[in-house]
Amino acid sequence: MPREAEPSLNERAFVTQALQEGQRLDGRAFDQFRKLDLRFGDQYGVADVTLGKTRVLAKVSAEVTTPYIDRPFDGIFTITTELSPMASPAFEVNRPTETEVLLSRLIEKTVRRSNALDLESLCLIAGQKVWSVRVDLHVVSHDGNLIDASCLAVVAALRHFRKPDTSIEGDTLTIYTPAEREPVPLSWLHSPFCVTFSFYGENGEIMLADASLLEEQLRVSSCTISLNKHGEICQVAKLGGTAVEAISLIQCASAAVTKVKEFSTFVDQKLADDSRRRDKGGLLAELSAENER
Amino acid sequence: MPLDTSTYDLALLRVDGRRWNELRRLHGQIRTQAAADGSSYLEMGNTKVMCVIAGPSEDAGRRRAGMGVSASGSTAPGGSAAADVVVSIVVGGFSSVDRKRRARGDKRIQELQATIAKALASNLHVHLYPRSTISISLHVLSQDGSLLAALINAATLALVDAGVPMTDYLVACTAGSTSTHSAGDEGADPLVDLNTQEEQELPFLTLATLGATDKVAVLVCETRVQVSRLEGMMASAADACKGVRKFLDQVVREKGHKMVTEGAIEKGASMAMDIDV
Repeated sequence: MPREAEPSLNERAFVTQALQEGQRLDGRAFDQFRKLDLRFGDQYGVADVTLGKTRVLAKVSAEVTTPYIDRPFDGIFTITTELSPMASPAFEVNRPTETEVLLSRLIEKTVRRSNALDLESLCLIAGQKVWSVRVDLHVVSHDGNLIDASCLAVVAALRHFRKPDTSIEGDTLTIYTPAEREPVPLSWLHSPFCVTFSFYGENGEIMLADASLLEEQLRVSSCTISLNKHGEICQVAKLGGTAVEAISLIQCASAAVTKVKEFSTFVDQKLADDSRRRDKGGLLAELSAENER
Repeated sequence: MPLDTSTYDLALLRVDGRRWNELRRLHGQIRTQAAADGSSYLEMGNTKVMCVIAGPSEDAGRRRAGMGVSASGSTAPGGSAAADVVVSIVVGGFSSVDRKRRARGDKRIQELQATIAKALASNLHVHLYPRSTISISLHVLSQDGSLLAALINAATLALVDAGVPMTDYLVACTAGSTSTHSAGDEGADPLVDLNTQEEQELPFLTLATLGATDKVAVLVCETRVQVSRLEGMMASAADACKGVRKFLDQVVREKGHKMVTEGAIEKGASMAMDIDV
């Protein structure tokens, strides 16, 4: 089983001492994120998030299937994560590491269990036909803080996605191609985002936001908080590690609230930019055969 | 079928007749398995779990994949400098109301295993056992809420029995809030030690603290709740953890006392703790 190369003792001592002196290796403030960028693909439902050197890609697809027997009125919503060997030599195909299990559980809890997507709206004919929405998450490059980047990618991709329009007349269900009818967005209830904090020091007294891979390897414990912009916690996960004071967790939560508001406006703005880019000025402009000269 | 907890406001009594800060009946035993290095049995109300510990032992079988999730301290080249803590959880098919067959690679269980392993690894003095494994196997016999909390408490008890040195008891408890996530009412009471019915209905979190201190080792919340409600829930969970710690300590002391009086321990054997029950 391959493992991530561990930082050397020198690196370890250097980073820890720098943190004690209030410095990070890349010169960021303790609560500062790396440069965040979000791009949408040509297709609907593709989001590409870069956070420093970390890069994740989310792709949403939808198909019509039969619902689960115990939930005839609910659509199906699945999120699959794939950490490919391309991102880090520690990842293998078809053998989920602990990182991958925890990542997919966190995204699942944040987006799916908090009812961000209205599953009932995915129902076409009760008990027979529902939409099955699937998000595939690919980690292309791993330089720490996969959780925050992945969650942002998933949320952005789902909000960007358009599913084909449908109509029901009597017993016949018609699914329209994009040429016949404009595809419709998913019914989206709220946008949760994850913010991860890493703790350093004997008692976890130093708190960093958006740790890089090296910083992640050296942390004594971490805490991921998922919130939406209304200040609702969707999930908190401090899964073991060195015990930290309760007050610093409360501080994390309030720092996360402001950060999530930033994320929220960031995604809103990017979505607005993208729709402006796609909007050619109505049907008449689209039908025009005139070329740009 | 969710249960109506809206009657709480009338008498300030919960569905099972408890007050907001009351724990369920706790019952614990240690050294239940004679053959194991350490073992315990813990009931928190109707949640019943059992823990068996093998180790610290040489890590011969450490590289076996799929045995559970492990957490180790810093690893040095040529073998780990600290003991690996390996946790595996078996949920009995008979443990809940609807009998469900769970896949072996269930992510929820894997997450629980990783959480418990990491939390214990940082609490135990694993550096005293280089190149060895402490294997903790937890069995869930009956589920009625606060599962993670019960598992952590049972593991702590069994580790005391196994004689693995630790900084303090790692104790856990759940806390919930009486209003739903959307309501912003300030008068909502926190509740401690939730059962299944309450867990399904109310937002809740699981908190594990390091014994007498208020330091938080584990904090897990999987439901939607207003961020302003977090502090109150954490405070009442931390208080409840103190009660749980007192109980675990009592179980250990009673057992120790019994062993001394029954002569299970040789006279003159040095005991690190004084037994004063």
